Amino acid sequence: MRSAAAAIAWELRQRHRWGLIAVAGYLIVLAAIKLVVVSRGIDIKFDSAATFALGVAVPSSAYFTYFIAIFTFGLDGDLAARQSMYPARMFTRPVSTTLLAGLPMLLGGIAAAALWTVARALALWPASSIEVPVIWPGILAVVLLAWAQALTWMPYGLPGARVFAVVLWLTTIDAIVILALHFEASEAVMAAFLLPQIPLAYLVARYAVARARNGDVPDWSGGFTWLARLGGVSGVRERFRSPARAQAWFEWRLSGKSLPVWVAIVLPFELLLFWVVGTSKVLLLKFVLGVLFTPIIIATFAAATVSTPGVNVDDSRGLPPFIATRPATNAQLIAAKLKTTLASTALAWLLVLVAIPIALQWSGVMPLALERSRRFAEVVGTPRAVVFLLLVVMAFIASTWKQLVQTLYIGLTGRAGLIKGSIFVTLTLLTLIGPAVEWIIETRRVGTLWNALPTIVAVLVGLKMSAAVWIATRLYRSRLVSDRTLVMGAACWSAAVFALYGVLVWMLDTPHIPRYLLMLLAILAIPLARLSAAPLSLAWNRHR
Amino acid sequence: MPESVIHVSDLTRRFGATTALASVNLDLPRGAVYGLVGANAAGKTTLIRHILGLLRAERGTVRVFGLDPVDDPVSVLSRIGYLSEENDLPGWMRVNELVRYSRAFYPKWDDAYAEELRQAFALDLTAKIKHLSKGQKARMGLLVALAYRPELLVLDEPSSGLDPIVRRDILGAVIRTIADEGRTVLFSSHLLDEVEAVADHVIMISHGRIVLSGPLSVIKESHRVDGRVPSLAEIFVARAGEPAPTAQG
Repeated sequence: MRSAAAAIAWELRQRHRWGLIAVAGYLIVLAAIKLVVVSRGIDIKFDSAATFALGVAVPSSAYFTYFIAIFTFGLDGDLAARQSMYPARMFTRPVSTTLLAGLPMLLGGIAAAALWTVARALALWPASSIEVPVIWPGILAVVLLAWAQALTWMPYGLPGARVFAVVLWLTTIDAIVILALHFEASEAVMAAFLLPQIPLAYLVARYAVARARNGDVPDWSGGFTWLARLGGVSGVRERFRSPARAQAWFEWRLSGKSLPVWVAIVLPFELLLFWVVGTSKVLLLKFVLGVLFTPIIIATFAAATVSTPGVNVDDSRGLPPFIATRPATNAQLIAAKLKTTLASTALAWLLVLVAIPIALQWSGVMPLALERSRRFAEVVGTPRAVVFLLLVVMAFIASTWKQLVQTLYIGLTGRAGLIKGSIFVTLTLLTLIGPAVEWIIETRRVGTLWNALPTIVAVLVGLKMSAAVWIATRLYRSRLVSDRTLVMGAACWSAAVFALYGVLVWMLDTPHIPRYLLMLLAILAIPLARLSAAPLSLAWNRHR
Repeated sequence: MPESVIHVSDLTRRFGATTALASVNLDLPRGAVYGLVGANAAGKTTLIRHILGLLRAERGTVRVFGLDPVDDPVSVLSRIGYLSEENDLPGWMRVNELVRYSRAFYPKWDDAYAEELRQAFALDLTAKIKHLSKGQKARMGLLVALAYRPELLVLDEPSSGLDPIVRRDILGAVIRTIADEGRTVLFSSHLLDEVEAVADHVIMISHGRIVLSGPLSVIKESHRVDGRVPSLAEIFVARAGEPAPTAQG
């Protein structure tokens, strides 16, 4: 190696060579197809937005996500940890902080810009009528990557803060860009908005790496002890009455606070929007729904801290001996996690449900909300309206808890490959959803899809129940949970399914939706297989 | 014949192409100090992790107090005190919180003994674990491992990287444990002079095989050269370097 910079670049390339080869391979194949088609003058019109999206934009988006993962060093660390994700091993190298921060940003920027340039070139066909901008999407890719790097490398004072900061900031930039597109901003305006952000992101990244290099990790947990006390689980001064209580306290301190703390931070900003509602019922409904969805969205990210099996959230994913040698069964360790998630969800929703009426009252839009409720009650009847509102709130609360626990079975395996693979699959599926929906609508297949819905749902139910039976058999044979717990779990699940089915039948009493479909939907909605697999995952991690 | 605390039979473990343990057989009767010695990557930690149930036996069996540590972790682990080289105590806890948390898992936790150890180790109750020095963390780990007077104390390279004063505390803990009748210590270390100072029995492991196992005095006598009794370090260099002829040398 002729220089330190070349050595760092080589390490990055060598470490991810197979992924990079896959990206290059895909683009080469696409280019070869285009060359053959264009050179032979074959008349193909790639003017459908869906074809464009599925053929080029979707894979390019997936590759861009992959680039974010590798150039932020996101595959090496724990997103939920307070410590910087910049690899600590690189801090001892005799190179400047400027190089440590700047080089991955430069390489990432070149890769992102090149990806856009190639993707654009491949997407445009001679007979195509699609207008694709030349520069600004490439700059946007560089900017998003640069900010992702800066915010990922920054040390934070609370577990999970990194996820929140990255998502919030990148979404804000995206929102501004979408707004600019809505107002048909020119390429020059877009570039003028985006370009200055690159040096800004670099300065933040350099500051982040410098702090991390000095071992500077802030601790903001002291500012939230009041919230922990409010939860009633922390601050225990007397001895624990049982190992289960001790473990629940441990889990609360490790990860339970994340959700209520983040909800408490975000909530005031959202509630401020009530002051701009005026007399708009639509705005009021949108803002209230936004507030109600907040715990669910935050829970999606907080789930990463819940499923971290480590003692400190910056630990590697493997179960540390301190926890693995606790004289507690795997089921007891899981039970403590589940209890903590229940407490966490309850506290987060207590905050939301107390704050909404107060904000409505103080902002002066309470009469508007009451009027809206009264009208709804007049249409459907007061008892039905009350029950409906209660069910909606319960559904939101249940969804929040579900978000917290549904990935436990992956996180608790402690297998980095499996965890990162599942994140990649999830991101890929999320990327595909938009174009897939667009394709279904454009090709007028909604009716076909609706007709096939019972079959699709039945297949999914079949898969879910098969997985559940397999997991139950494994749990029974491995004696990870007692027979009584298995039977009780099955009974509780069945009761929940029937209760949800009853509610669905009561609410959607229409001949257009067959009742068996409602039953299938109820079976799909209540967590079973993934939750039951958590003790197996923990055992797989604990007794390797 | 005293009852076995640890019984390992034909234990084999592979990590990919590497054989970490190859047909290991071990029987440790109650009431003695066993020094587990071996070079780096010899298989000491892998053996200890099997005894704790953190690794599942691929082939062979592991029994601790007559129980399978994987199938019955509660019964086994509640009787073992364990201190690892990694010392992965939760940094966010304070000393008093760690004591309170750990106490909940061990019905035989002795508050007076825990306090005695805390004072002897000069640990501040309100200090956060992450703010303790490496030596203080080792002492904290020792406190938590000893305070319920475990029947079996397992120390995995506890002295590694520590100063002589902390090492003295650890040896003192071993001696204290032996003083309680019927208790057993399994002590893995690179520091052979320490092992020699406290161990009754030595188990030497090399390339995943036990090459030497027996009472220290017998081993030293059997390696006498020209009338001189060699040190454990000399025996280690002589035996660990040569290929293992049998599973139990």
